[in-house]
Amino acid sequence: MKRKAGGPIVMLLICLYLVIPLVFTFLYAVSGDWSGLLPRGITFRYYAEIFSDPAFLLSLLRTLVISVLPVVLCTIFVLLAMFVITAYHPWMDRYMQILCTIPYAIQGVIIAISVLALYANAPPPLGNRILMLTATYCVVALPYIYQGIKNSLNSVNAGCLIEAAQILGASKFAAFFRVIVPNIMPGVTVSAMLSVSILFGDFVVVNTLAGNYYQTAQVYLYHALFRSGQLSSAIVIALFGLTLLISLCVFFLKRRGAPGGMR
Amino acid sequence: MKGKRTYLLALAPFLLLALLFEVAPVVTVVLRSFQAEGGGGFTLAHYVSIFAKPLYRQAAVNSVVISLLSAAIGIAVAFFGAKAANGAGGRMRSFFMSVLNMCSNFAGLPLAFAFIIMLGNTGVFVLMGKRYGIGFLADFNIYSSAGLLLTYVYFQIPLAILLLLPAFDGLHKEWRETVSLLGGRGSDYWMKVGLPVLLPSFLGTFSVLFSNALSAYATAYALLQANFSLLPIRISEQFVGDIVQHKEFGSALAVVMMLLMVIAILCQNAVLGRRKGSGQ
Repeated sequence: MKRKAGGPIVMLLICLYLVIPLVFTFLYAVSGDWSGLLPRGITFRYYAEIFSDPAFLLSLLRTLVISVLPVVLCTIFVLLAMFVITAYHPWMDRYMQILCTIPYAIQGVIIAISVLALYANAPPPLGNRILMLTATYCVVALPYIYQGIKNSLNSVNAGCLIEAAQILGASKFAAFFRVIVPNIMPGVTVSAMLSVSILFGDFVVVNTLAGNYYQTAQVYLYHALFRSGQLSSAIVIALFGLTLLISLCVFFLKRRGAPGGMR
Repeated sequence: MKGKRTYLLALAPFLLLALLFEVAPVVTVVLRSFQAEGGGGFTLAHYVSIFAKPLYRQAAVNSVVISLLSAAIGIAVAFFGAKAANGAGGRMRSFFMSVLNMCSNFAGLPLAFAFIIMLGNTGVFVLMGKRYGIGFLADFNIYSSAGLLLTYVYFQIPLAILLLLPAFDGLHKEWRETVSLLGGRGSDYWMKVGLPVLLPSFLGTFSVLFSNALSAYATAYALLQANFSLLPIRISEQFVGDIVQHKEFGSALAVVMMLLMVIAILCQNAVLGRRKGSGQ
């Protein structure tokens, strides 16, 4: 049988196409002056500028907080709900699944404006922008977290484990939270980190709901776009580096053998 | 089992979250889309305006067209990419997958900005085109539908390849050999065996790509501002910004977008099972 030599070339071309914008952005961020065809000189002053700007560092911190907190909350809420479903009423799972798939259809601008229109003028606590943002992010992360937990529960055969624990005298609550949850932690962590990286890169929800109240790194980048191209490139590369770090953590967690992990 | 139902309290946080921030907003948007401006009454006027007023009809059409096109181009490129990756050895394939995973994180504002650097008014490639007289590059306008399409295709390709790869893994090598034993050529294999087997995954991936592009906001926001009409941008305009708010009309626009997304997702589920898209 003939062996095609075109395969590696195709892959190389695709890799080149994908990597070129990144390379250019990086070069733009470290070049002295690039008004002509080629840059003049290398400088790291844009990186120095952004990392010494308290507004940028604060926005990074805010982004981290608002990416991690909703995921943690969502995971706890879903675990609690799955406890009830797995241990007591499995028939509820279908409705849980529907509730956790709806966010796919309303992702992005739809859920942002829906929440905004409904609660913008509501009395606190519902009217509080940060609460709205956190809760909306929880809903955005819901499908991924639910899928991760569900897959993990299936792979450890949760129903049987609970029965076995009960035979040995444990309550359902103890069976779920002291036996099952530690076992599904790897899979749950993988989908949690995936959700964190999704929330980290979100722009539409935070810009619609809380753009001026809670400036995250993406909003900061948006305002920088109009100020200086090279400053923006430095921010882009910094943010990309952070996202990459999170993805690498996911990659290594998965390699350690996560039962029922995704992707 | 005893009659104690206190465990149901564990459902409470999730239900509260889902009801308050998922069900209630969506239901409100749907209801509001039928209300007249300023609230109250029942009217289909907003839906009529969407299809009657060129600005909004164009937005819906543009969104659908650019989503279909970017999905089609993405999946075409992904076909060759996944085919190549499938036939490659372990190390090349892992390297390829790593690059894909890495670049699938590069989307939204950062991606739009990178394309502006390369192909904007003073972009590197544009300047090169002007210097060397390459008309195509010199006149390229990233702030147009073509530019937007180019950017959309960029984030569709990694997602498409990653979704198609498992499907290619399902094509057994023995089938290829059998076809050639029976006297068929490469094209016969693809037409009669390969593509039919891959078709469900293709359709499923296509609808993932479609819904991914349809809901893309940040990229469009950064590149277009007001030049090219897209549905997500028009929707958010009704609720946020300097102009007067049109909540009811915006809700109607949102319902139209929701319907498009639901159609795409129903296709996905029917064909691919449980899969997810990535950010844009």
